[in-house]
Amino acid sequence: MMTKKTCIAMLLAGGQGSRLGILTKNVAKPAIPYGGKYRIIDFPLSNCTNSGIDTVGVLTQYQPLELNAYIGSGAPWDLDVSHGGVFVLPPYQKGKVGEWYRGTANAIYQNMAFIEQYNPDYVLILSGDHIYKMDYNAMLNHHVKHNADATIAVREVPWEEASRFGIMNTDADDNVVEFEEKPKKPKSNKASMGVYIFTWEKLRKYLIEDEEDKASSNDFGKNIIPRMLAEKQTVVAYDFAGYWKDVGTIESLWEANMDLLTTPMPIDLHDKKWRVYARNPGYAPHYIAEDAKVTDSLITEGCQVYGRVEHSVLFSGVEVEAGATVTDAVVMPGAIIRRGAVVRRAIIAEGADIGPGAIVGEETGNIAVVGNRITLPAGVHVTAGQQVGEDTTF
Amino acid sequence: MKDVMGVIYTGENDALLRELTMMRAIAALPVAGRYRVIDFLMSSLVNSGIRNVGVITQKNYHSLMDHLGSGKEWDLHGKNDGLHILAPFLTRENIGVYNGMLDALRSNTNYLSRSKQQYVLLANSNMIFNADIDKFIDYHIESGAEITLMYTRDPSVRREEFGTYIAVDENAKVTDMEVEPTHPTHECTFMDVMILKRETLRNIVDKAVAHGQHNLNRDVMMPMIDNGTGNVNAWEYTGPIWLMDSVQSYFRFNMDILSAENRKKLFPDNLPVYTKVRDEMPARYGDDVHVSNTLVADGCVIEGTVENSVLFRGVHIAAGAHVKNCIIMQDGQVHSGAYIENCILDKQAVIKRNARLIGPDAYPIVIAKNVVI
Repeated sequence: MMTKKTCIAMLLAGGQGSRLGILTKNVAKPAIPYGGKYRIIDFPLSNCTNSGIDTVGVLTQYQPLELNAYIGSGAPWDLDVSHGGVFVLPPYQKGKVGEWYRGTANAIYQNMAFIEQYNPDYVLILSGDHIYKMDYNAMLNHHVKHNADATIAVREVPWEEASRFGIMNTDADDNVVEFEEKPKKPKSNKASMGVYIFTWEKLRKYLIEDEEDKASSNDFGKNIIPRMLAEKQTVVAYDFAGYWKDVGTIESLWEANMDLLTTPMPIDLHDKKWRVYARNPGYAPHYIAEDAKVTDSLITEGCQVYGRVEHSVLFSGVEVEAGATVTDAVVMPGAIIRRGAVVRRAIIAEGADIGPGAIVGEETGNIAVVGNRITLPAGVHVTAGQQVGEDTTF
Repeated sequence: MKDVMGVIYTGENDALLRELTMMRAIAALPVAGRYRVIDFLMSSLVNSGIRNVGVITQKNYHSLMDHLGSGKEWDLHGKNDGLHILAPFLTRENIGVYNGMLDALRSNTNYLSRSKQQYVLLANSNMIFNADIDKFIDYHIESGAEITLMYTRDPSVRREEFGTYIAVDENAKVTDMEVEPTHPTHECTFMDVMILKRETLRNIVDKAVAHGQHNLNRDVMMPMIDNGTGNVNAWEYTGPIWLMDSVQSYFRFNMDILSAENRKKLFPDNLPVYTKVRDEMPARYGDDVHVSNTLVADGCVIEGTVENSVLFRGVHIAAGAHVKNCIIMQDGQVHSGAYIENCILDKQAVIKRNARLIGPDAYPIVIAKNVVI
C-alpha cells in the first residue's frame, strides 16, 4: 500500500488534434512545439510541478511515440520522484477485454486502478491542448473551501464568441446552476477551460454509473458534469483571468506563437517564480552572423542565422542561410531555410528543409504549412493556406 | 559501459585569471555562453562510456559543486558509480589543500581502491577540448603500454616556465619529458590527460607516499621515462584546444568560438557537450536591434546593438546600449546609452545608463561579479 496523496492529476493527451492538419499526422497534439523551446504539454506539466502536484498520469492513445520519449522519466519537470511522478498510461488489455479510450470520462474510468494506488482525496483532470500558467493549488483551495464535489475552471470569453464554448451559468456564490454546451443564446460568458477538480470518491461513483449508461458518450462536459448537476451535487466555478490560448488549429497555433512577440508578453515566460520547464536538447547558444539581421523575434539555442529574420519564432537548431528571409513565421526544431528562400506567414515543422529560392506563404491569407521532415525542392512556391506533406507534388 | 573510471583534478594555478577565479575554480569558469570549463571534459568522459567520475576539488569549490550537483546532467546519478566529489579534508597526513593530483590521490586512496574499473583516466581541468576519449582508451588497451599520455602539437597552449612537454618517437613511445622548462624544447605538449591500470596507479601513489613525492609529472613520470623503467606511450589529440590560464586566454577562447569552424569542431554532432540546464525562455529580440557575429544564450533580451560578443543566459541589452567585443556572463545588464568595448562582465554585473568602458585590445577590462558601474 502506497502512502496517500492529497491530489493527483490526470492529463488527457490522447486526442489527435485533427484541426492541426499535417502537423499532427505523426505526432500527438500535446507534443506539438510551441514558443521556441516548449511543447504544449510542458505547460500543464510545469503547472503541476509549480502547484506542488507530483503525481501525474498522462493518458495517451494517438501517435504516442514522440510524446512518450519526450516525457521520459519526467526529470525536466522534477517529476522523477520515488513516490509518485509522471506515468504514461496507454489503453491496455483487461482480462479478455481490450479497448481504446472511448471518451474523456472513459479514459479516466479505465485508469481507476492507477488512481486508487494513491488513494487521493481529489483528482485534477487536465488536457494537453492549451497554453496557460495556472496555480492548480489555488483552485484546489477554492474546491475545498466550497466543500465542492466538482470544481470547473472557467474564464470569461467575449460575449459574441460564447456560443462556441461550454458555458457555465453560476449564482453569486460561484455555484454552477446550469451547464450549456455551445448555447445559441448564452446566459453567461464563463467558458469551461476543460480543467476540473473532483472529490475522488464522488468522481469514482459517477464514472462507474456513467460507464453503465450505454447511451452515454462518456465525456466529462457532455455527461458527467450535467449528471452531477441534475443530481444536485455541489459544482462550483473557479474564475481564471490569466492568459489562456487554445492552440487547436493552424491559425491559433501561429497566433499563440506571435503573441510572444508583443510587448509586454501576454504570458510571462521570464517569471523565475513560475518557470515553464521543457526537455532541453542541449545545444550551444545561437549564433547571429555578421551580415544577419534579426528583429522582433524569439531565437533559441542551437540556431545559426546568416539571413534575415523578422517577427518570427525560431526553435532550437534552426538554420537560416545567407540571403534567406523569414517573416511572421514559426520555424520548428532543426528546420533549415536555404539561401534565397522566402518564408512568410508560415509554420515550418520539425526538420523540414526549405530549398534554395523556395517561397512559402504569402503576405496575406491563411498560414502555409510545411510538414515534418519534408524537403521542399529549390524554387517551388507554396501558396497561402497550403499544407505540404509527403504526398504533395510540385 | 567502459572498464575505465575518470578522475579530474581542479586545483590548477589561477593567479593570472584575476577576479574571474577569485570565487571559483578554473573548472567552474563560465565559457561559451552557457557552459563551464569542466563541462567539455565531463562530457567527453561520459560520451566515451565512462560511468564513474571523481572530481577532486580544492579551495573555492562551492560554485563547482553547485554546477555539478548530483551529476544528473551527465547521467552520472545512478546507483552504480556515478559522480564522486572528492573535497579536501583534514587528516593527520593532509592539511587542507592538495599539492597537485598525486597529493589528492593519496588522500583519496579509498575511492581508488573501492572502485571496480580496471583502468583510470586522470585529467586536469584547465584545458578546453572535445576529444573522442573512446579512441584514446582503445589505443591504450591495444598498444599494451603501461601508461599512455595525451598530447597536442597546437602551439597556442605552450607557455614558458609552465606546462609539461614530451618527445615522442615514431612508435609513439615517450622518450623524454620536461616539466615547467624556461624554454620548452619539445613540440608536443602533454595535456595532463593519462590512462593507466588502476592497480598501477595505486602502486605509484603508495610509492610516492613512501618517498615524500608530490608532483606526478616531475617526481614520477619523468624518472620513469628517463631510466626507461616504464613503458610510456603517447596519443595525439588533433582537434582544437584552449588553455585557460589568464584573462587574455579566457577572452581569446570566447572570441574564437564565434567562428563557425571552431564551433563545429568543439561541438561535433557525435560528441555533445552537456551542462546544467536553467530553463530560460528563448532569447527575445526587440524591433530596433543590430546584432552581428554574436553568440546568444536563452533568456537574453536584446534591444540594442551587439557586435562580436558572447552573451550568457539572461543578459539584458537595453535599447540604445552598444556592446562590442565583450563577454557578458549570466544575468548581466547593459543599460540605455552605455557603450562597452573589450570588457568581460562577470555574473550579474550592471553597466548603468550612459556609462562608457573601453578596454585595450590586448587586455580586456574585467568587471567582477555583482558590480554596478
